[in-house]
Amino acid sequence: MAIPIEMPKLGNTVEECLLAKWRKQVGEPVSEGEIIAEIETDKAVFELKAPASGTLLATFFQSGDAVPVFANVCVLGHPGEPFELFRPQAGDPPPGPAPSSDSRTTAEPPPPQAAAAPAAAAASPDRPSLSPRARRFARERHFYPEAITGSGAGGRILESDLLERYHRSPRPSPLAKALLDDGFQIREEPSEAAGLIRSSDLRPPAAKISTMRERIARRMRESLSSTAQYTMNASASAVGLLALRSRIKAGHLAQSWPDININEMVLFCAVRALEQVPELNVEFLDGRIYRTEEIHIGFACDTPRGLVVPVVRNCRRLEIAELARKIKTLARQASEGSIAREDLGGGTFTVTNLGVFGIESFTPILNPPQVAILGVNAIGLKPVRGKDGGVEFVEHIGLSLTCDHQVIDGAPGARFLKTVREKIEAIESLAPFPR
Amino acid sequence: MYDLIVIGAGPGGYEAAAHAGRLGMKTLLAEKEFIGGTCLNVGCIPTKTFLKSARLFSECRSAAAYGVEIAGAKWNQAAVVQRKNKVVSTLTRGVEALLKKNRVEVVRAAARLQSAGLVQVGDRRLEARNILIATGARPAVPPIPGIDSPSVLDSTAVLNLTEVPARVAVIGGGYIGLELAGFFFAAGAAVTVLEMLPRIASGSDADISSRLQQAFKKSGVTLKTSCKVTRIEGNRISCLDDQGAAFETEAECIVNATGRVPVVQDLGLEELGIDLDRKGIKVDERGRTSLPGVWACGDVTGRRQLAHAATREGLVAVNEMAGRRDRIRYEAIPSVIYTHPEVACVGWTEEELKAQGKEYKKALVPMAVAGRFLVENEGGSGVVKVLAGARYGEILGVHMLGDLSSEFIVAAAQMMEMEMRIADVEKVVFPHPTVSEALKLALLEIA
Repeated sequence: MAIPIEMPKLGNTVEECLLAKWRKQVGEPVSEGEIIAEIETDKAVFELKAPASGTLLATFFQSGDAVPVFANVCVLGHPGEPFELFRPQAGDPPPGPAPSSDSRTTAEPPPPQAAAAPAAAAASPDRPSLSPRARRFARERHFYPEAITGSGAGGRILESDLLERYHRSPRPSPLAKALLDDGFQIREEPSEAAGLIRSSDLRPPAAKISTMRERIARRMRESLSSTAQYTMNASASAVGLLALRSRIKAGHLAQSWPDININEMVLFCAVRALEQVPELNVEFLDGRIYRTEEIHIGFACDTPRGLVVPVVRNCRRLEIAELARKIKTLARQASEGSIAREDLGGGTFTVTNLGVFGIESFTPILNPPQVAILGVNAIGLKPVRGKDGGVEFVEHIGLSLTCDHQVIDGAPGARFLKTVREKIEAIESLAPFPR
Repeated sequence: MYDLIVIGAGPGGYEAAAHAGRLGMKTLLAEKEFIGGTCLNVGCIPTKTFLKSARLFSECRSAAAYGVEIAGAKWNQAAVVQRKNKVVSTLTRGVEALLKKNRVEVVRAAARLQSAGLVQVGDRRLEARNILIATGARPAVPPIPGIDSPSVLDSTAVLNLTEVPARVAVIGGGYIGLELAGFFFAAGAAVTVLEMLPRIASGSDADISSRLQQAFKKSGVTLKTSCKVTRIEGNRISCLDDQGAAFETEAECIVNATGRVPVVQDLGLEELGIDLDRKGIKVDERGRTSLPGVWACGDVTGRRQLAHAATREGLVAVNEMAGRRDRIRYEAIPSVIYTHPEVACVGWTEEELKAQGKEYKKALVPMAVAGRFLVENEGGSGVVKVLAGARYGEILGVHMLGDLSSEFIVAAAQMMEMEMRIADVEKVVFPHPTVSEALKLALLEIA
């Protein structure tokens, strides 16, 4: 009675094995224990041995085929015995390739067949799949050649195909190999056509970005792709700011007052300007404008982990001392990383200050759904026409306002910037500063 | 139309021309003076024949230490020069044969660039797809008053001395100065070396140059480091020491070995606007100058003034012309100083690694660990220093002092060229008994 020989299960996770080579041809006599075929997994080559003596009646796969485990590979028996019932059918235990021609069962080498093994069929049509052993070979040697033709069924790439190419290709030097194992990558174009891939042809592994960096990156991209932002620049006389600042520094204000800095003064002026020009204190979401009664100001903080924007809530009618205290507390928490989640969202307007770095003008990026952000620049001398007609130099602070043109046209934007300027220039009259 | 015209037949130019011929390029080599260039005629080879004679002479005098008594050994400068000429002529014929075999047309004439692709060679104007400038360097003349005195000779003039002077002063403690100092000392002269920097062989690893300095002093050569030569009058040399104090020394022969400057004159370089500075013609890592189609290699580029570096640079340039991607790796180019004991190095020095902030491991092993070294060098000393990367163990530098380290430094150069790690060289078998075993032991000490 004919006996089928099935593909053994070589390991718990192996689902298919590669039939690397037939050692016996159809019609040949086979003795018990003789090797009929060689099988590859990604770990080793195994030999498929005859469980009994007989004649090889039929083979159901050709070399290079990926064969599901437990599928019948061939049939042993006496010449003339029927074997068709053993042929793996589509949907049979695990599906195998469905050979259509009887020529496969003859001793003639079967013609190359376009219908590939299941794994190959699943792979992309223009990139032939790798046999398990080939995959391991490639992985261990960091060797992934382009445009290689596999000699297995359906162009499947066998280890032997890679081996041949490998010996003709540039290979990593011992040092480069150690670096590749550590995650270094080969640059696009090695500087030598053949020979060695050297350490200088590699680049270090890309640094993985933090979740926070990734979030900032995404939000910035979204901002630029979903808005029509533009920036305009102006400057305000900083004489008032500086005078106030020097009075604070000299300790001329009451004990209960905090140490208010220039940034906090400008932020305070921005709140006052928003009270006067409320068009900018809105949110633009899904094509609709949402007006908000309250003013919640976000301010950009440079922290060791990246940009953080704490929000001071309910700034309307807040006195400058109180505003400055709140800003200082939030800034400290942001820097320490102890800031509460609810203090990081819900802003209706943002102020960002690069003036401390001497920046004279920049383009702040909107924080949607907000429609405006005010950049604060460095203080510098600017020539102005004096009352007597002569030129004098006056300290000015630069202001860069970015607006979303979807909502804020140039004129209202400019009107707001002008208002901010006026508030800054009149800072001492805005608040009850003790004299 | 030539595929390549090479200007200069030194080890940069002639090897490049032969290689181009081998690749099937139609090649012409123009040389106005000697086939073989400085190396073969007034550099590497003649000085080595002198040094061989000097070594033999000093071995005769120390032969008793090996149980051989030799009386009456005498120096014959004329015979030394004659042998040098014979060796040079044999090698020149060899170079000519190499060029002929590779179908290189050799023209004995000066060449001048007319434009990219056009060269005046003698009275002919020739077109070429590529031009390789390999005109080399010549001895520098430092701005010292009296440097043009008849008693001052450069490394070229020294080779034609008919007798050995009684006292020799060498200005410059680099490899040229040290080799000539060693030669004159062994040939019987009283020798003083005057070096401006705080140590001799200053480009070498400090562990090597300090030991070389000791060996020189022990042998009886006078070394003056941190010493500035201010004036030469007849046989008198005025100097300032490191404290700024003036002193004088006298010598019948004063050797100017203060370095070499590129030969860039009369080539038409300025007219064509080819980038060059005091050090030489500027080229990229593949030998391209600022003018497309014009290449340069060797001393004229001022990169590494070594014959074998020039050869490699020339081959890289020719490979690039032929569309074969290539490049030179300077860190894997060995260098040798033919003093006694010899210095042979490849790769970075410890000082350079420190300056780069590179983390490294090191081993310093005496040459005497190799039995053959003791056999060959009675009373001699030497050391092998190996530097390797702290993390991957890649070989970063090998620095050796001791005879005959020049003959096996190539092993270390190959290890570096192939980027081998200490773990990879453990399998390499070094023959026993050879001096090279000291290198093996130093490598293993790091492992």
